[in-house]
Amino acid sequence: MFISGIGIVFTRGRGIDSFENALKEGWRAPSWTGSFPAYRVGQEILIDASLSKKIRRADRFSRMAVLSAVDAYRDSGITVNQSENLGIILATAFGPHATTFSFIDDILDYSDANVSPTKFSNSVHNAAASYISAILDSRGPTVTVTQFKLAFQNALILAGSWIAEGRCDHVLCGCADELGTVMEYACKMKLNIAKDGKINPFAFSDSPVSVPGEGSVFIMLSKEKGSNNYGKVTETSFFQNITGKPDLFIIDTDGMSGNEKDYKDIINYGSLIAGYSPVFGSMLTGSALNFAAAALMLKNQVAYKCIFQDNPFGAKLCAETYAKNLDEIYCIKICRPEIKTIVKLQK
Amino acid sequence: MEESKEKNLAEIRKLLKELLVENLSLEDIRPEDIKNDEILFGDGLGLDSLDAVEIVVLLQRNFGLEVKDMKQGREIFYSIDTLARYIYENKKAT
Repeated sequence: MFISGIGIVFTRGRGIDSFENALKEGWRAPSWTGSFPAYRVGQEILIDASLSKKIRRADRFSRMAVLSAVDAYRDSGITVNQSENLGIILATAFGPHATTFSFIDDILDYSDANVSPTKFSNSVHNAAASYISAILDSRGPTVTVTQFKLAFQNALILAGSWIAEGRCDHVLCGCADELGTVMEYACKMKLNIAKDGKINPFAFSDSPVSVPGEGSVFIMLSKEKGSNNYGKVTETSFFQNITGKPDLFIIDTDGMSGNEKDYKDIINYGSLIAGYSPVFGSMLTGSALNFAAAALMLKNQVAYKCIFQDNPFGAKLCAETYAKNLDEIYCIKICRPEIKTIVKLQK
Repeated sequence: MEESKEKNLAEIRKLLKELLVENLSLEDIRPEDIKNDEILFGDGLGLDSLDAVEIVVLLQRNFGLEVKDMKQGREIFYSIDTLARYIYENKKAT
């Protein structure tokens, strides 16, 4: 399936151009709110006059998803009004948890008879995908995939199935996760947060540091090659040994999934290695942002520099941004030694 | 007496406008932009049926008032003025 459009909302702005600029610019210090550094999406990024009426009631989570999905759709140049040919898949680790917990708090504070109906509708996991479907006037399948560590990979597999079986010609496949109060507490209690705000993606540590982030990315996937093309996804699967030798590996090391020692084996394949979590922060669905970086690199034929403090194992890293012939990029996420996923992208 | 009533009504109107803007996520509207006699639904402020349910919840939470009769609701929810009068009269009675 071909990648025909990308939309993104992340800490440094909205749109694929903002993301490209961030990749070129490199590391920027996260903001400090509360007791740890984090890559948050500013409220000003979530305002869109052209959509204000349609997303008036949407919460922060849905807004991030809607804006990135609409941008991916527009970026593709494809029009599928009132069509069953467009599928929508939103992948998320935690869903709109800020609204969900706020809704539960309201039941405790005001009783179940006096809770906001809008807050209830936004607390449902599929709310964001439904907003997207309504705004794009799509009549195709619309689902939300929720899983802690591999939500985006599972969404890609589902998108591939829909396209392969002819159920859809296009699938808007993306992720969204937000940093609400409850998530902040969970991060504080469970993660090894980098007090200096610097994720270290190539340390391959058994207790890696993280800097929590939030955001959303949507990818327009199409059966046929469109006028706008970032490359194609040739495989999404679980693996034990990697077959093939890509020009570049992009790894999902951001401190969110625990032990990162197994990523060290990637060095042995001899290809260039990159990972861009320091640009957008640590997210369980950060794979989607690294995927967007891979697609952008294939389209532009540019390798973007990696941000790192140390490279103790001598990985062959993208140390600078430069023009490079890139035919194939593999995106790797390792959860445990027996759970490794690979997404293969080709020019 | 009349002066005190008008002062109370003015305070309720101000609070109502702030509550509507905040609870109904009226992004492009400031509380002071809402006129006292502006029609809230349809062609006026443009609120819809879901907003009406939000206002019912808002009245219950903030003023302890229940609106169960929808025919009565139509009259009460006509404008900020009608809402404020309903709150003033019923709060006073309790």
